Amino acid sequence: MSNRFFELALLWIVLSPLLAAAVNGAFGRFASKRLAGNVAVGAIAISFALSLAVFIRLMTMESEDPRLELEVYQWFNLGFGSTDIPIRIAFVADSLSGVMLLVVTGIGLLIHVYSLEYMEGDDGYARFFTYLNLFSASMLVLVLGSSMPVMFVGWEGVGLCSYLLIGFWYQNGEYAAAGKKAFIYNRIGDFGVLLGMFILFAATNTLEFSELATREEALTQPFVFIRGEWGMTATIACLFIFLGCTGKSAQIPLYTWLPDAMAGPTPVSALIHAATMVTAGVYLCCRMSSVFVLSPTAMAIIAITGALTALLAASIALVQNQMKKILAYSTVSQLGFMFAAVGSGAFAAGIFHVYTHAFFKACLFLGAGAVMHAVHAHGDADVRKLGGMRKYLPVVHWTFLVSCLAIAGVPLFSGFFSKDEVLLGSLSSSSYYEKTLADLAVIVNAEGPTSYPWPTFFARIQYWMLAITPYLVFAILVLAATMTAFYMFRLYFLTFAGKYRSAEPARDSHGEEAHDDHAHDEHGHDEHGYDPHPHAPGPRIAIPLVVLGIGAVIAGYVGLPHAFHLPNLWAEWLHGPVATVEGGHEAEGLAAFYPWIAMAAGILAAAIGIGLAYSRYGSGGNVPSSAEPRGFHRVLMNKWYVDELYDWTVVLANRFAAVFAANIDKYFVDGILARLTSAIVTALGWLATRVQNGLVYVYATVMVVGLLAVGWWFTYPHAQLEGEVTGATVEWRAANGLGYRYAWDVDSDGTFEDCATNTCSGEYEDEDFERYVIRITGIRPGDVTELEVDDDPTTIDRRYLTTDWEPTEDGQRWPTVRFEEGKVLLDAGGAPMRVRGQAVTEPVQLGPGDSIQLGMGSARICVVVRGTVRITSAFGNTVEDDAEVIIEPPEGGGQQAALGGVR
Amino acid sequence: MSFLTALVLIPIAGAVLTMFIPRQNVQSLRWFSLGVMVVELLASFVLLREDWSVAGYHFYAAEPAPIVEGLGIHWRLGVDGISLWLVLLTTLLTPISLWVSWLSVKTKIKEFAVCFLLLEAAMIATFVSLDLFVFYVFWELMLVPMYLIIGIWGGKDRVYAAVKFFLFTLVGSLLMLIAIIYVAVTYKGLAGAYSFDIDDLNRVVLPDDAQFVLFAAFALAFAIKVPMFPFHTWLPDAHVQAPTGGSVILAAVLLKMGTYGFIRFALPLFPLAAHHAGPFIIAPLAIIGIIYGAYCAWVQKDVKKLVAYSSVSHLGFVMLGIFARNEAGMNGAILQMVNHGISTGALFILVGVIYDRRHTRELGEFGGLAKSMPIYATLFVIVAMSSVGLPGTNGFVGEFMILAGTFGGITEGGFPTFQPWSHLFTLFAALGVILAAVYMLHAVLKMFWGPITKKENENLPDVTWKEGLALAPLIALVFWIGFYPRTLLEPMEASVSTFIHDFQQKLIVSNDGRFPNDEPRLADWPRRIAPGRDEAEQGEEGAEDAELAAAEAAQ
Repeated sequence: MSNRFFELALLWIVLSPLLAAAVNGAFGRFASKRLAGNVAVGAIAISFALSLAVFIRLMTMESEDPRLELEVYQWFNLGFGSTDIPIRIAFVADSLSGVMLLVVTGIGLLIHVYSLEYMEGDDGYARFFTYLNLFSASMLVLVLGSSMPVMFVGWEGVGLCSYLLIGFWYQNGEYAAAGKKAFIYNRIGDFGVLLGMFILFAATNTLEFSELATREEALTQPFVFIRGEWGMTATIACLFIFLGCTGKSAQIPLYTWLPDAMAGPTPVSALIHAATMVTAGVYLCCRMSSVFVLSPTAMAIIAITGALTALLAASIALVQNQMKKILAYSTVSQLGFMFAAVGSGAFAAGIFHVYTHAFFKACLFLGAGAVMHAVHAHGDADVRKLGGMRKYLPVVHWTFLVSCLAIAGVPLFSGFFSKDEVLLGSLSSSSYYEKTLADLAVIVNAEGPTSYPWPTFFARIQYWMLAITPYLVFAILVLAATMTAFYMFRLYFLTFAGKYRSAEPARDSHGEEAHDDHAHDEHGHDEHGYDPHPHAPGPRIAIPLVVLGIGAVIAGYVGLPHAFHLPNLWAEWLHGPVATVEGGHEAEGLAAFYPWIAMAAGILAAAIGIGLAYSRYGSGGNVPSSAEPRGFHRVLMNKWYVDELYDWTVVLANRFAAVFAANIDKYFVDGILARLTSAIVTALGWLATRVQNGLVYVYATVMVVGLLAVGWWFTYPHAQLEGEVTGATVEWRAANGLGYRYAWDVDSDGTFEDCATNTCSGEYEDEDFERYVIRITGIRPGDVTELEVDDDPTTIDRRYLTTDWEPTEDGQRWPTVRFEEGKVLLDAGGAPMRVRGQAVTEPVQLGPGDSIQLGMGSARICVVVRGTVRITSAFGNTVEDDAEVIIEPPEGGGQQAALGGVR
Repeated sequence: MSFLTALVLIPIAGAVLTMFIPRQNVQSLRWFSLGVMVVELLASFVLLREDWSVAGYHFYAAEPAPIVEGLGIHWRLGVDGISLWLVLLTTLLTPISLWVSWLSVKTKIKEFAVCFLLLEAAMIATFVSLDLFVFYVFWELMLVPMYLIIGIWGGKDRVYAAVKFFLFTLVGSLLMLIAIIYVAVTYKGLAGAYSFDIDDLNRVVLPDDAQFVLFAAFALAFAIKVPMFPFHTWLPDAHVQAPTGGSVILAAVLLKMGTYGFIRFALPLFPLAAHHAGPFIIAPLAIIGIIYGAYCAWVQKDVKKLVAYSSVSHLGFVMLGIFARNEAGMNGAILQMVNHGISTGALFILVGVIYDRRHTRELGEFGGLAKSMPIYATLFVIVAMSSVGLPGTNGFVGEFMILAGTFGGITEGGFPTFQPWSHLFTLFAALGVILAAVYMLHAVLKMFWGPITKKENENLPDVTWKEGLALAPLIALVFWIGFYPRTLLEPMEASVSTFIHDFQQKLIVSNDGRFPNDEPRLADWPRRIAPGRDEAEQGEEGAEDAELAAAEAAQ
């Protein structure tokens, strides 16, 4: 079959669950549960079959980097002038997304099947499958998207489905709130992804993953103003995108939503909050690995964040008593492992752990669900009331045990192989940081000033961070792996070993699990314990468990440890899309021992963890008491109080800001705009009414005062002198007034001549003016500037010059005018100008009447004349007023110069 | 009579005819007024048949009819890619909101129908007027029916809200009137005759200081309408008090007049002022609006008020996109205007649905409605997600384009719009994306999830087919635009890129103090970074100039 078939298959892989979701969403409520369930399972089965076909096709393609691409249509486009970048809806399957396709559809299919039985008693059966199918479609878009925006559709789509499914039992307010929390935490991350996208887009003009991989040069440019690796485009973009990953994949600081997300039905926890959605962040980092590797600094931050998350979550999981809570923290912790691998440059190891983790963690969750289903625990099961499940639920027990061995990293189980890769990756990342370290060492060790734009203090921080990261991360991961083995087997022993503790008569205290009445809970359960007679699951629960259990054992054999120099199919397969860092496993010297160190540490961690758990809980004893824990135990029980910390800082601050804003809006903004203005208008109105008070003596007083004022005003003469220019004659005109006498001085010689009329004309000749002025008329009508000329040079505004006019090279010498020896000197600053048809560069002397053609305007040398009038009124009051007017002397006589526009 | 004139006259004719229908014939009144609007909607589809890859005004009458000849006031209508979707949004949402009004408005049916028909005519005329004076007349005329709709068929405090709405809008538009007169007089001074034709006026480059004052007057009028922070306080009151249909039109169409006015008039007439006001005044206010509106929305107890404040937040995005002045931002802004009309319109209809049943809009009165009204809950969540801007819904595409445009910050020819703050602006504006989720999910949580706490909520009837019919086209559009926005983007692209190009040409001219005498010369202006007019910077500019000249020479 041609590639076209497989390319179209990519579309149908997405459409099949999407259409099923639409059908179930619209008509599911009217259909039987059986039909709704079958539609949903059928759709995901089609997706799985197609994915398998696509994957096989990818395997058989004769190419280093097998790749199938389907462009569906152009979504929208981002235009910036002549650049117009299309954003396409396009799907790509390559070796990386091929693996994810199989994980998503394969495990998705198993969990759909499992849900058929698990959700049987629920009223929202069709709704559940609608959401689950919608989730699958979104996740597949996320995996297959060829560019960041398309990926982002899936990215937010899975967030929405997660929100809907966490709050699936919406009648429980807490569950719904947990859903909202998940959405908002994810949204904070999405904000980071958005900004990361914009940064990448601005730098590279593309958002296609395959294109981004080739824009190394653009991505290593400094971003805005910060130089050095901290300010590199790739660093900033990667950190923003990583913020998105911390949201989606529950890493510090945004991990707290995931444990709360266990409010959703257990299949949801298995599919979304363990196997697929939460690994999207890891997938994105791997997908963009060629961008991430450009910035060792960002990578180190990712590695450290991952390792710290692994440790933090594992420490919390040590003391929790709810099955799903323990598994949730375990997921957060395992995701931390994956990010530690990604940050160390071991992208293939990270995605390898995603893949093995999907099997054993889904199996663990489904096992926990099976236990809860068996004992009719709702929401979550308290291990203190379980125990002895080995006897009641053999299938669940065996698959659970296998998965525990896998997650603990016991050799020959899948988790061992991937965890080994992760540990080795973190240890050998030192060679990846080497080059940056060498660059930094120069700055750190330099005596004098360096090219580093910041105080060397920052370089030192960066240097030490990069220097210790590999070993720090490795040590933390080993510690976290030990804890993982411990808490997983604690969970295992408490659940499956010993005797069933709810079989006995009810106890007094019943822990803290939720006892809410809602749709799911139709069996009803004992307030003080679980159903004393657990029932074994049916085939639709058992089969997925067994398949996943087998997967938990064998999935890891595609990536055999490096220590034995066996072929590693996994790394080879992912070679194309996933970047590999320099050095890596092939490093020599001490590094040759690294694989052995990593493996030994991993095995030791598993052995210690399991051993401790066995010695404490192996016999089924040591059940945690219900008493309030003390000391450090209490801190762990309360999850390091991180939720409380967030509540009291970020949440409270925002809440405060909101209340503040609303009050400001109500009282201040609206207060000024609406109330204050209306108050002012009212006050003015009131004032106006005060005058109209109807008292005759007040009216009379006002009138008398008014008349007196008018009379007083009339005793003073008002000149209002104006001059009107006609050629070289100015017609001066002063105001008319009763009994005014005028005296004129039009030539500014200080002598006044009596004159009967209010007008007087003055003729002006060459020497009669006060001073020169240059009147420049721009090309824009009404744009007239009058420049005073004196001994100091005045610059002519450059807006009158053409844009191609250049100042001379030696400096910013703009054309200036100044007064010199009775003439106006126009100095063009050495630039060529045109005088009488000849190009000269020397300053030109100009006289009255000369006109110059400037670049975009015309200038005329004008003169200012002054007239003065003295008026005496009939009352004997005298006033003197003068005015100046500009005379444009007739043209001719003087020189003409043209300046500018020389091109 | 041109097609657009007919489009304006159909509702007016409908209103006149409605007046002749006897008051008792309630059903005939309802169906007739609705029928007129449906005819109008179908007629407006003719617009889609145009070839929108051609920029410029379509259906432009060759010799526009003079109204007042001596003053150069003409009946000049035309549609381009920028106003196309706003006209269609109007013709689509008016029948929808009248349809939902007929479910709840029981008194003074005849007057209501007349008001709505006149409102529709005024809104369409405002969007298609190319004569500044005619635009102004309809801009003000629009106030009257809306004022009546709020004041007569509104809620408890309707008179206060109606007067507030009227006065706020009027204050701004009176300043705009003065500015319009100034522009016309200046035009006469330059060209020798009065004209209010937007094309004529666009050819004039006004003096710098006049530009700033006039821009301020125009911007104030439009900013009040948008509404931009801090002139938004009329909006929550008006929305809360208006009847459902009125709220829908108010949010979906009337607010767009402000943003449309910025694009059509304030930017091209006063390019220099717009250029300088963009990063210093408009964008900061828009960003404050985005965040502040979201915060205010979060703590509202009245769900209608929450939606009203969300409008302040959303329109902030639109303003940011417009002033980014590149194709991405501008296309995104126009798209987002339509999106906001659709999703906020639908939200108001949905709020109306629950108000008709419970006669309250207090969030605290609800809870657990998903149990009693599952379809209603589903529709509400879909629309809320569109408002939040989830990919796959219309809201995402608009917001993404706007933010990308804002981040880009540079338009063709190297014109910086928001530089060097564009990154900071994007960062803060994108915070609005988080906050949108916060307030919307808060409302959804309070209304639909959790147990049913009030007895009244137990047996509420779900969405009826009549209500569903009103919502169906909007929901369909939410997904259509979400997945295939090219339908909307393609027709506007030619006009938008012409707009941006022309704007920049005019900005250059305006900046260098030259009058564009003729077209060929206009195209010859060198494209370069517009220097500031500050005299102190001259030296620096000289160096820059020399560099550019050298670069040109190298080419």
